[in-house]
Amino acid sequence: MENETSLSHKESLQLIEEMIYKAKNSYHESGAGALLWGSVIMFCSAVSYANTWWNIKWLNQVWWLTLVAVVPQIVISIRQGKTQKFKSHTDDAMSGIWISFGIAIFLLSFFTGTLKIGAATPTFFLLLYGIPTFATGYTFRFKAMIIGGIVCWICAVVSIYVPFRTDMALYFAAAFFAWFLPGLMLRNNYLKQKHGNV
Amino acid sequence: MFKELDPILHSQLRLAVMSLLISVKEAEFTFLKEKTGATAGNLSVQIQKLKDAEYIEVQKQFKDNYPQTLCKVTPKGIDAFETYVKALQGYISGNGKP
Repeated sequence: MENETSLSHKESLQLIEEMIYKAKNSYHESGAGALLWGSVIMFCSAVSYANTWWNIKWLNQVWWLTLVAVVPQIVISIRQGKTQKFKSHTDDAMSGIWISFGIAIFLLSFFTGTLKIGAATPTFFLLLYGIPTFATGYTFRFKAMIIGGIVCWICAVVSIYVPFRTDMALYFAAAFFAWFLPGLMLRNNYLKQKHGNV
Repeated sequence: MFKELDPILHSQLRLAVMSLLISVKEAEFTFLKEKTGATAGNLSVQIQKLKDAEYIEVQKQFKDNYPQTLCKVTPKGIDAFETYVKALQGYISGNGKP
């Protein structure tokens, strides 16, 4: 691109539009984080659901996997930071939302006993799941995540009226619609874009 | 009367750089180079001009032992860009002449 080429007014506006379009299309979320958390929560809830029949005591500890999953999440975040050549206006806001969600989930996990919320625990978790999911979808106008967030809240309401076993199915559904499915869509777009640029 | 177009912005490469930087919070030099298709030397000169006009901030640092140049548009740059776009729109809707 030349620097001093004479531009007509129309060409100037076209150039501005073209560059804004290029910048917007440079950001492609890999979907790895969403897929990771979707898979982990779906796995844990499926095992818990099955265990309501199996009654194997140690299988109740399966939810500790969510703590282990923090490690690959950190790796994903570091890798993303290394490869990303720019920071969008929404990056800090999104980080803030998801970090606060992580802290809230962590606190809720450790204080459910003290709070004595017992049977209402899944409702609280599902309510929390919906907040960052909906906020992310709304920010990026990403319908799959908006729907995912709403599904979490519907599951939260349903969980008030159903037994523990069904709660596990609700966790599964929430994780599928909030993270796994949007994650798959993001991953497909990301791979398409990546191969398109080769 | 039509407003005079800002000569700092009314240049293909500088306008391209400003348009990219307006769309993001901050960007690496390599990102600007890749998107504009300009040579490193030419881009450096134009970035310096935008910096001298205080339209952008340039921060040099190291990332993984490699030098990294980060560019970010300033509030003055945003104002100038908005004024420039409004003036362009005025020209186009006003008389249609280039």
